[in-house]
Amino acid sequence: MKDIDKWNEAVDPDNLSDDENMILDAMGLNGSSRRKFLKQVSAASLSIYASSFFTSELFANTMKDLPEKTTALLNEIKVNIKVNDMVKPLTLDSRTSLLDALRERLGLTGTKKGCDHGQCGACTVIIDGKRNLSCLTLAATCEGKEITTVEGLAKNGEMHPMQQAFLKHDGFQCGYCTPGQICSSVALLEEAKNGEVSYVTEDLKKVQSGLSLSEEEIRERMSGNICRCGAYNNIVQAFKEVHTGNDEMPTWEFATQEQMDKAKNA
Amino acid sequence: MTKSINTSGVGSAINRVEGHLKVMGKAKYASEFPIENKVYGQGINSTIAKGEIVSIDTSEAEKLEGVLKVITYKNAEKLKTLEGVRPEIATDTIAPVLQSNKVHYFGQYVGLVVAETFEQAQYAASLVKFEYKKDPSAVIDFEKSRSKAYTPDNDSNYSRGNMDQGLAEADMVVEQTYNTPIEHHHPMELHAVIASWDNGKVTAYASQQIIEDAKIAISGTFQIPKKDVRVISPFVGGGFGSKLNLDRHVIMAVMASKMVDRPVQVTVTRTQMFTNTNMRQQNEQKMRVGAKKDGILTALSHETLSHTSTTQEFQEPCGMVSKMLYNVANNEVTYKLIPMNMQTPFAMRAPGEATGSFALESAMDEMAWKLKMDPIEFRIKNDTQTDLHEERPFSSRLLVECLRIGAEKFGWKDRKPEPRTNKKGNWLIGYGVSAASRNSPYQKTHSKVILELDEDKVFATIQMDATDIGTGSYTIIAQTASEYLKIPVEQVNVELGDSDFPITPGSGGSWGAASFCNGARAACENAIKTLKNNRNIAQDEEVAVSELLKKNQLTKFEAEGMAEPSAEFEKYSVFSFGANFSEVWVDKDTGMYRIKRMVNVASAGKILNPKTAYGQIIGGLTMGVGMVLAEQTRVEPNFGNFITRSFADYHVPVNLDLANIDVIFLPEEDKIANKMGIKGIGELGITSVAASVSNAIFNATGKRMRDLPITPEKLIEAGLEEGVTA
Amino acid sequence: MRPFTYTRANNKEQALQAFTATSHYLGGGTNLVDLMKEDVERPDQLIDVNNLDYKKITSNDKGGLTLGAMLSNSETANNKEVRTNYPLLSMAMLSAATAQIRNMASNGGNLLQRTRCPYFFEVSMPCNKRDPGSGCGALNGMNALHAIFGYSDSCIATNPSDMCVALAAIGATVEVQQADGTSRMIEFTDFHRLPGDRPEKDTTLSQGELITAIHLPKAEFSDHYYYLKIRERSSYAFALISVAAGLQVESGVINKAGLAMGGVAHVPWKLTKAEEFLAGKKPTTENFEAAAELEMKDAKPFEANKWKVDMGKNAIVRALTQAFEREV
Ligand SMILES: Cc1cc2nc3c(=O)[nH]c(=O)nc-3n(C[C@H](O)[C@H](O)[C@H](O)COP(=O)(O)OP(=O)(O)OC[C@H]3O[C@@H](n4cnc5c(N)ncnc54)[C@H](O)[C@@H]3O)c2cc1C
Ligand code: SF4
Ligand code: FES
Ligand code: FES
Repeated sequence: MKDIDKWNEAVDPDNLSDDENMILDAMGLNGSSRRKFLKQVSAASLSIYASSFFTSELFANTMKDLPEKTTALLNEIKVNIKVNDMVKPLTLDSRTSLLDALRERLGLTGTKKGCDHGQCGACTVIIDGKRNLSCLTLAATCEGKEITTVEGLAKNGEMHPMQQAFLKHDGFQCGYCTPGQICSSVALLEEAKNGEVSYVTEDLKKVQSGLSLSEEEIRERMSGNICRCGAYNNIVQAFKEVHTGNDEMPTWEFATQEQMDKAKNA
Repeated sequence: MTKSINTSGVGSAINRVEGHLKVMGKAKYASEFPIENKVYGQGINSTIAKGEIVSIDTSEAEKLEGVLKVITYKNAEKLKTLEGVRPEIATDTIAPVLQSNKVHYFGQYVGLVVAETFEQAQYAASLVKFEYKKDPSAVIDFEKSRSKAYTPDNDSNYSRGNMDQGLAEADMVVEQTYNTPIEHHHPMELHAVIASWDNGKVTAYASQQIIEDAKIAISGTFQIPKKDVRVISPFVGGGFGSKLNLDRHVIMAVMASKMVDRPVQVTVTRTQMFTNTNMRQQNEQKMRVGAKKDGILTALSHETLSHTSTTQEFQEPCGMVSKMLYNVANNEVTYKLIPMNMQTPFAMRAPGEATGSFALESAMDEMAWKLKMDPIEFRIKNDTQTDLHEERPFSSRLLVECLRIGAEKFGWKDRKPEPRTNKKGNWLIGYGVSAASRNSPYQKTHSKVILELDEDKVFATIQMDATDIGTGSYTIIAQTASEYLKIPVEQVNVELGDSDFPITPGSGGSWGAASFCNGARAACENAIKTLKNNRNIAQDEEVAVSELLKKNQLTKFEAEGMAEPSAEFEKYSVFSFGANFSEVWVDKDTGMYRIKRMVNVASAGKILNPKTAYGQIIGGLTMGVGMVLAEQTRVEPNFGNFITRSFADYHVPVNLDLANIDVIFLPEEDKIANKMGIKGIGELGITSVAASVSNAIFNATGKRMRDLPITPEKLIEAGLEEGVTA
Repeated sequence: MRPFTYTRANNKEQALQAFTATSHYLGGGTNLVDLMKEDVERPDQLIDVNNLDYKKITSNDKGGLTLGAMLSNSETANNKEVRTNYPLLSMAMLSAATAQIRNMASNGGNLLQRTRCPYFFEVSMPCNKRDPGSGCGALNGMNALHAIFGYSDSCIATNPSDMCVALAAIGATVEVQQADGTSRMIEFTDFHRLPGDRPEKDTTLSQGELITAIHLPKAEFSDHYYYLKIRERSSYAFALISVAAGLQVESGVINKAGLAMGGVAHVPWKLTKAEEFLAGKKPTTENFEAAAELEMKDAKPFEANKWKVDMGKNAIVRALTQAFEREV
C-alpha cells in the first residue's frame, strides 16, 4: 500500500493551506484550489471526489461542539469518549446513542446508521475488543471504554489487512454496510482465536482456541451484518483470506470460445 | 490503432477506484457532510389510512427546548401540486407535501419538526398531536377490492395471434396464478438529505440515483428556476430504485431550511422507509400456457392485477418478459390496477422482469414437468432470435448458450427429474433452472474531460452527474478514460454526483454502465480529436495524449462529449440474457431450506470490469433469494398500516442464507447496443432467481410454491403437486 | 425518545436506592433502548447496572452453576463450564440475535426482553400490553406469529427469548434483590406469567426488583441436547417455533427429559406432559411422536397460525431425535 503514505500526507491538517481548510469547512466542491488539491490526490492514485478525501478525524477537529443552548437540558451528561486512541470530552443529551455521538458530534461518519434499532449491523464498532452495536449503546455508558471505529483500524498509514482484503475481493458495492462489516470481521478474527463458538459449531463441548472457521461458520458469524447490495460471497472471501492467510480465488470466469461453439451447436 | 497495452483499461478486474474510501469509512454519504449550523428535521406520519386532519396541537412540541419549528399543512410553504386523476409517477415527478389536511394513506407525512439536535427533533415529533376524522372507505384490502380494478390508460395491454386458438391447438395447458407480495428496496443507507435554502437558491446533499431528475423535481415543486438548484450525491448507499425519484423528505428539508434559515438535515427512519420511499406493489399474475406434446409453445398469456395509490399511478410491467422471451405466436398481456390507500409504488430492481419472470419461469417449469421434458430443452426449443413483440431482431441473444454452458457448469445432468427422489438424511434436494432477460436501454449522456499535464504525465478528470450506487460507476468510467486516453487508471479522477457536472440519465434501469462509459468515451475521443485537429495531426496517427498537449503547448485542456443511441440501435431489440441454476436443500419437517449453490450465466455485452460485474450479479441473486426466502410487507387489515415495519420484521437475506455462486460471463460485445458493446447487468442478476429457487424446491419436495415468499410454514402446509409420488 | 436521567450504579444498594416507579434498570440496552426509541418504554430514569459485580459464573451448592445477571450472553454461552455442562443453554443462546447483540445483552436483560408483537411496537395501534385497556390489536388482526397456548383475550403475544426456552427445559432459579436489599428466589417456571387480564406484566417480578443471578441445577443434559430454531432466514431472526430438548439416557432408556418450546406462548412453554411421558421410555421415533402429539393436542390456534401446530409437532420430534442421535 505504497500510496497510503502519500494519501496521509495529503490529508495531514498541518499541511493544508488556509485556503484548503476553508474549502474543507465549507465543503466547497468547486473553487480555485480544488484542482491543485486534486492533483495531489491524483498523485496518490486516489481517483475520486476531492471532498471525500478529507478524513473524518479532520472534521472532528474543525467541528465545534454544539452551542451551549442546545445542551441546556435537564439530562445533560458529560462523558469522555475515547475513540481510536483519542479522548474527546463531550457534553451530551443523555439520550444520545454512541452512533449519533460519533456521527453528529465527533464527525466520525464512518460508522453508519442503517436502522437505528439493532437490526442491521451497519453501526458495528469495537468496544473494549468486542463488536457492539453503537445504535443501541447510549453514549453515556461509554465513559472509560475504548472504542474503535472503522476510521481507527488503519495503523501507521497502512490499511488493516481486513480493509485491504475487502478492497481486493470487492467485499462491498455501495459501501454503506462496509465499515460495520469490517469492524465485525476484525472482531471475529479475535473471537476465532479465542475459540468462541456459534450456533453452527459442530461440538460445543470441545473447548479449544485458535479456531479455523469453516465457510458455514464465517457466514453464521457474519450474519449480524446485513448487506443489501448482496456482497456476502465477497465478504466471506475477504474474511477467509485474512483468516487463513491463503489467497482466495474469484468465482467468476469467462466462457471459452470452445464452450460457446459447443453450446451453440449442441 | 495499435492495441492498447493498458492493464487497467476496459475489461480488467481492477479494484474499485473509490474502494479505499469505503473500506476506511471516508466515503461521504448524504447526511455526512459537515455543514455548519445545520439543524435536524424529523418527519411525522399519519396514523390513519384515509381521512382528514381535524386538529393539530403543536404546543407541547413547540415548548420544548431546541425546537425551532413545527411544520404542518397549516403553515407549510405553498407548493406545486399534482394535476389530474392519478397522474403517472416518473423519475422527475414533483413531490408536494404538507399541502392539505387530506390523508391518503397510513404513513403519509403530515408534519416535520425542526430542532437543534436529532434527539430533540425525534422527541418533539412524538409530541405533536393530530386528531383525525377517519374515512371508512379506505381501500386497504387487495383481496376485497378486486372490483375496483381498472385498466391503466396506457398501451401496455398487448396481444398477437389468437390466444383461444393457441390454447385449442395445445396438447397441454398450464393455467396458474402466481403471487408476489409488497416488497421494499431497503438500501442500507437510509434516505437522507441536508438541504439549504439560500436566497432562493437550493443546495441539497441528497441520496439520489438520478441527479438531473432530482433537480427537476425540486425546481418543479418549488416553482423555482432549475439553475437555482444544486443536488450533490457523490456516494449513494444503495438505491435499487427507491432513490430514482425525489421523495418528499427532500422537499420538506428544503422547505424547512427556507423557514428556519439554516441548513436542515432529514434522515428517513427505517420504519419510514416502508411508507415514504417507494415500494414494489403486490402482483397477482395469472398465466396461461399452451404447448404441443413435443414442447412447442402455442399460447402464452400473462394477466397482472396490481395496485397503485389513490393519488398517482404506477404500473409494473410484469408481462414484458412474456411478450419477448419465447417463440410463441399467440400471446396476450394485460394489466389491471386497484387504486389503494397506500403510498405510490415505484420501480424496484428489474421492475417487471423480477416479478414477471417468477410467474413465467415457474409456469414454464410446470409445463416442462407436465410434458415430462427437460426444462432446459423445453426452453431451448422455444428460443427465438426475433423479438416478436417489437417485431425486430435482437441485437444479440445468447440465451441458448447461457442455458447450455450453465447446465454443464452446474452439473445439471445429475438432476433427478422426479421430485422427492434426491434425499440425504432429513434433506430433500432439488435442482432448478430459469431463463432471464432484461431490457438494456442506453440513454443520452454528457460528460466532460479535463486534461492536465504535469511534467510528462497527463492527469485526466472526468466529470458527469452520474451516480455510483454501488454499481461501480467510478471504476468503469475511470477504466474507460484510461482506455481511450491511453493513460494509467491511476491518473484518472472521476467526479460524479453533482448537478454542476454534465447531464446523464443517472443510475437506474440498467442503463448506467453503457450510458456513462460511452459518455466518457465521447469526451475523451473529442479531446484527442480536437488536439489532433488543432495541430493537423492525422486522426489515425498514434500520438500519446501527453505529446498532444505538448504539441498544442497546453498544460490544460477541456473537452466535452455526448453519446446517444444510434439509428441502428432503434432497429433492434436490445436485451441482456442469462440463466440461473440453483441447488436447494429443503428440510422435510421444518420447512427451512438452504440454497447450497448457484450458477449464473450472464450474456450482458462487454464486461467492463468482471470484479464489479460479478458484484452486480451476486447482488441481484441475493435480492432474488430475498424475494423467495422471506421478503414481504404485510398490510394490517383493520388499520391499513404496514404491520411489517422494521428490519426485524422484513427479512432480507443474511450472509448464511447465501452460498457459493459461480458466475460465467459470455464473451460478447454488442456493437449494435453501442460503440463499446456494453449492455446492462445490474438488474439481470435478480431476474428469474426466485423461479430458479422455487423450481428447485419443487424438484426437491414435489410442492409447487406459487406465492412468494416461500416461508417454512407455507412449505409445511403445502400439499404435493398432482402426479408427484410421496 | 423521551428525556430521562442517566444514573450509574456502582453497587446493588445504589441501584435499589435510585429506583423509582418510573425507572428502568439498564442492562445491555438491546431491548430497552430499542423500545425507548419506539416510545414504547417511557422511563424517566435509567439506572445503569452494568458496573455491578454480578458478572461471574460460579459453582452453586446444588452442584450446578450460577450465572451472574450482568454477564453478557456471549460470555455466558462461551463459558467453558456452561458449554461442557449445559451445551443446550449455550446452543439456545447462540441461536439468538447476532454476535454483536449477544456481546451486549445481559443475562438479566434477556429474561426480561419483551414480545416482538408488531402491534406492541407501533404506538398508534391498540395494545393492552403497552397501553392497558387499549385493546389487543392482534386478536382480530394479524396473528400468524402469535400464541397457540395459554393466551387470553387481552393478549395473545409470545415470549421471544431463546435463552429462556433452554432455561425452562433445564430448570433454573432466578435470584432477585428486593427493594429492602434482601434477595428472593423464583423458580423459572414461575418467573414469566401468562397474560390473563394483566398482559402488561410479563413476569412475577415486583417493581424495582433487580435480577442478580440465574442458578442452574446439576447438569443433566450434557450428552443429549438440541436446540432447534425454525425461522424465516437462517440467522438473525426470531424463532417461528423453537424447541429445547435435553435427554438423559441410560441403558437405552430415557431417564429424564427436559423439553420446552418457544414461539407458542406468552411464556417459554415447558412441555411437562411430554417430559413425563418420555421418562422411562425408549428414545424411539414413535415415543417422540406420541410425546409431541400429547402436547400439541391442547393447542388452540387461530386461523392464521394453525401451521404452528403442525410445525410444532415436527419440531418436537426433530429436536428430540437430534438430541438423542447427535451425541457429540
Ligand atoms: C434485532 C434483534 C434481534 C434479536 N434476536 C433475538 C433472538 O433471535 N432471540 C432472542 O432470544 N433474543 C433476541 N434479541 C433480544 C436480545 O436477546 C435481548 O434484547 C437481550 O437479551 C436483552 O438483554 P439486555 O441486557 O440488552 O437488556 P436491556 O435492554 O438492557 O433490558 C431489558 C429489560 O430488562 C430490564 N433489566 C435489565 N437488566 C436487569 C436486571 N439485572 N434486573 C432487572 N431488570 C433488568 C430492563 O430494565 C429492561 O426492561 C434480539 C434483539 C434485537 C435488537
Ligand atoms: S398480542 Fe399482546 S402485545 Fe400484541 S397487540 Fe395484543 S396485547 Fe399487545
Ligand atoms: S444501525 Fe445499529 S444495527 Fe442498524
Ligand atoms: S455494500 Fe451496499 S449494503 Fe453492503
